[in-house]
Amino acid sequence: MKRIKSLVLAVFAVLLSVTYVLPPTQVAADSSSALGIAPKKNYVIEPGNSVQDTLNITNLDESTPLHLTLRVIDFSFTGNGGTPKLFLDPNTPQTTWSLRSYLKVPETVTIDPGKSKQIDLNVAIPKGHGAGSYYSAVVYSSGSGQGGNIGLNASGVTLVFVNIPGKVKEDLKFTHLGAYDRSAQGDLDGYHYFNTQAPDTIAYTLKNNGNVVEAPAGNITLRDIFGRTTTINELNPSGSLALIGQERTFMTCIKLKPEDVKLGGTTTKSTTCDNSGLWPGYYSVSADLFYGQNGNLTQEVTKVGGFWYLPWWFIGVVIVVLAVGGFYGWRTYNKLRNKFYGPRVAKTKSARRK
Amino acid sequence: MGRMRHLLFWAHTFFHSWRYICTEEFVALLLALFVFMMPVAATTRFETRGLFMHTTEPGATTSYTVTLRFMSPEQVGSVDLLFCNDPIPYMPCAVPTGLDVSQATLTSQSGETGFSIYSKTQNHIILTRTPTSPTFPSESSYTFSGIKNPTDTSQAFSIRMKSLTSTDGTGPLIDFGSVRGQVETGIMIQTQVPPMLIFCAAQQVDDNCNGTDETYYRDMGTLSPTDTLTAQSQMAVGTNASQGFVVTANGPPMAAGTSVINSPTLPTESQPGTNQFGINLVENTVPAVGGNPEGTWANAIPSADYAIPNKYKYISGDVVAYSPNVSLMRKFTVSYILNSSKDLRAGVYTTTITLIASGRF
Repeated sequence: MKRIKSLVLAVFAVLLSVTYVLPPTQVAADSSSALGIAPKKNYVIEPGNSVQDTLNITNLDESTPLHLTLRVIDFSFTGNGGTPKLFLDPNTPQTTWSLRSYLKVPETVTIDPGKSKQIDLNVAIPKGHGAGSYYSAVVYSSGSGQGGNIGLNASGVTLVFVNIPGKVKEDLKFTHLGAYDRSAQGDLDGYHYFNTQAPDTIAYTLKNNGNVVEAPAGNITLRDIFGRTTTINELNPSGSLALIGQERTFMTCIKLKPEDVKLGGTTTKSTTCDNSGLWPGYYSVSADLFYGQNGNLTQEVTKVGGFWYLPWWFIGVVIVVLAVGGFYGWRTYNKLRNKFYGPRVAKTKSARRK
Repeated sequence: MGRMRHLLFWAHTFFHSWRYICTEEFVALLLALFVFMMPVAATTRFETRGLFMHTTEPGATTSYTVTLRFMSPEQVGSVDLLFCNDPIPYMPCAVPTGLDVSQATLTSQSGETGFSIYSKTQNHIILTRTPTSPTFPSESSYTFSGIKNPTDTSQAFSIRMKSLTSTDGTGPLIDFGSVRGQVETGIMIQTQVPPMLIFCAAQQVDDNCNGTDETYYRDMGTLSPTDTLTAQSQMAVGTNASQGFVVTANGPPMAAGTSVINSPTLPTESQPGTNQFGINLVENTVPAVGGNPEGTWANAIPSADYAIPNKYKYISGDVVAYSPNVSLMRKFTVSYILNSSKDLRAGVYTTTITLIASGRF
C-alpha cells in the first residue's frame, strides 16, 4: 500500500513539473474576434420605469462565428479627456453612480459569420431613486489566448449613461481657457500661452462638482488687438461630457470643417479643424457657458483668457525691424547730440587723471 | 533746433502743472464715481433662471414653465422671450429646428403677475402688462402651453429673456438672461446616429476586420540572458462616433507562478540580460519587430509612450492607441519584447493581454 502511495505521489510530482516547465499546448481558437458594437447609449428614465432596448452586435469575420461573453462593469475617467477608466476587477466595489444593479444583458451570445444580432438590454430604475446621472459599461469579450507565452483577448465596450430627471446638484467651475494643442488629449499641459504655430483649437476646462454629467452650451469670442472678433458657437461639437467629479477639458475648433464619413454602410457627420487664419499678435478669449438640466436652474459661467500667436517668421521680422530701427535711432541720437553739444572728444591721459 | 528745445520746454511746463490738478484724491474720487454711478444705468441679469419642459419628446406639443427673478427696481411693462439655439443675447438668433411657439398660451403665472401675451411668432413671445415695479423678492414663473418642441436632439436650445419698461417689448431693457433646454428622444436618446465601433485583434487581421488568422497566442521561444524574445500581434479599429475611440492594453505582467518579469513604466530600450517585458505599436530595429500603423485615417495614432521606435513599456490599463474623433479603419501592429536575467527562476512565463476598444465620452 505504501509503495502504491509513493508511486502515485511520484507520478503526480513528475506531471506537475512537466506542466510547469513545458510550454502549454497551443489550442486553436474557434471564435472570431472581429466585432462591431455601439460605443455609447444614453437613456432618460424616470424612477420606477424601465427601458427595454437592444444592442446591435456585428460579427465582421466572414468565416468564423463570434462567441462573446458579456458583463457589466463600472467606469470612471482617466485624466481630463474623454477616456473611460474601466474597473475590470469583478471585486471592485460599485461606484456611487453605478448602474450595475439596474442594467441587465445576456451573459453569452454567439453570432454567425458576417451576421448581426440584436441582444436585449434592460435598465430598470427603482421607485424613489434619486435624480442624477448614472453610468456603467457593457464589456464584450471575444477570442481568448489559450497557449504560448502571450495570450490575446479582444474586447469591446459600450458605455451606458442613464439620466434620472428631477432636482439635481449642478456645479461647474471654470478652471482653464485658451489656445490648445489637441495632441495633449485633454491634459492641462496642452494649453499654450505662447504659440509659434497658428492655433486651430480653443479649449476650456470645467470641474464638475455636481451629481450629473454635464455638456455645456454657449459661445467663445476671440478678439485680436485691433478689436476684430471671431465667435465660436459650436462649443462642444462632439457632444463631450464632464463626468461626476471630473475636471474635463472640452475642445472646439476656431474654424470647423464638416465632412461626411461612411462606415459600415452608413454616413455620419464628422468635424475637423480648418486653418484658423489667425494673424500674429495677442488674442483675448472670453467664454460664456450655460448649463442646467430640465426643470433645474440654468446656470452661467464665464471666463476670460488670452494667448499670443507669434510665428517664427514674425519674430524674425520683428527682430530685424528692431535692429534696423535701433541702428537708425542710434545714428539720429548721435547726430542730434553732436549738434547740441558738439562732437565727442577723446579724453587725454592728463584729463583722465584729473 | 531752437524750436525743438522750445517745444520740449513747453511740454514739460504743461504736464508739470497737472501734478497739482490730478492729485491722488482727485483720482480716487473719479474711481468712486465709476463704482457707485455705473450700476444705476447698467442692466443686470435675471437670477434663479430655469426652464421646465413638461415633455422633452422632440416635436411634441407641450407646456414650458419659465422661472426667473427680477433684479432691478425699474417698472416692468413687458417681458421678451426669444427662442434661439445660441443663448448669448447679442449673437444672431438661429431658430431651433422644429420649434413653434406661435400657438402658445399663457396658462399660469406667479410672482410678478398681470401679464398677457402681446405678440407671438414661431420663436418669439412678448408678454405685456401695465408698467409696475417688481416686488422683492420677485421670483416669478410663467407657464405656456401649446409650444411645439424642437426636433434636433443633438444640441441644446435657449430662451433669451429680457424685461423692459415699455409695454410692447421695445426700448431700453432692464434685466436680461437666458435659460437652456434640450429635447430627448422619449426615454432614450440616441446621441449618435448610427454609432458604431469596429474592432478586431489577432496575430494577423485584415484591414477592415473582415477576417483574422484566428490565432490568439504566441510561443515566444526559450528565454536567454543574451537574446531578446519577440512577438507581434495586430489589431484594427475604427469608429464613426464623433468622440473617437481608445484602445487599452490590460493584463498582468509575465509570470511563472510567483516569479514575475516586470515591465518598464517608462519607454525603455530593450536590455538583454535584465528582466523586462514591454510593448509598443511602431516599427522597431532593435530588435527588428513590429510595424507602423497602416491606413489612411491619420487621426488614429498610438499613444505617445508606445510610439517611440525601439523603446518599450507596459502598464496594465494604459491607452495604447486612440483617436480623438471620427476615424475609420486603421491597423496597428503590437510588438512584444521579453528579456531575462541569468538569475531568473526557470519556468514557463505567460500572460494574457486583453486589448479593449471603447468609445470616448
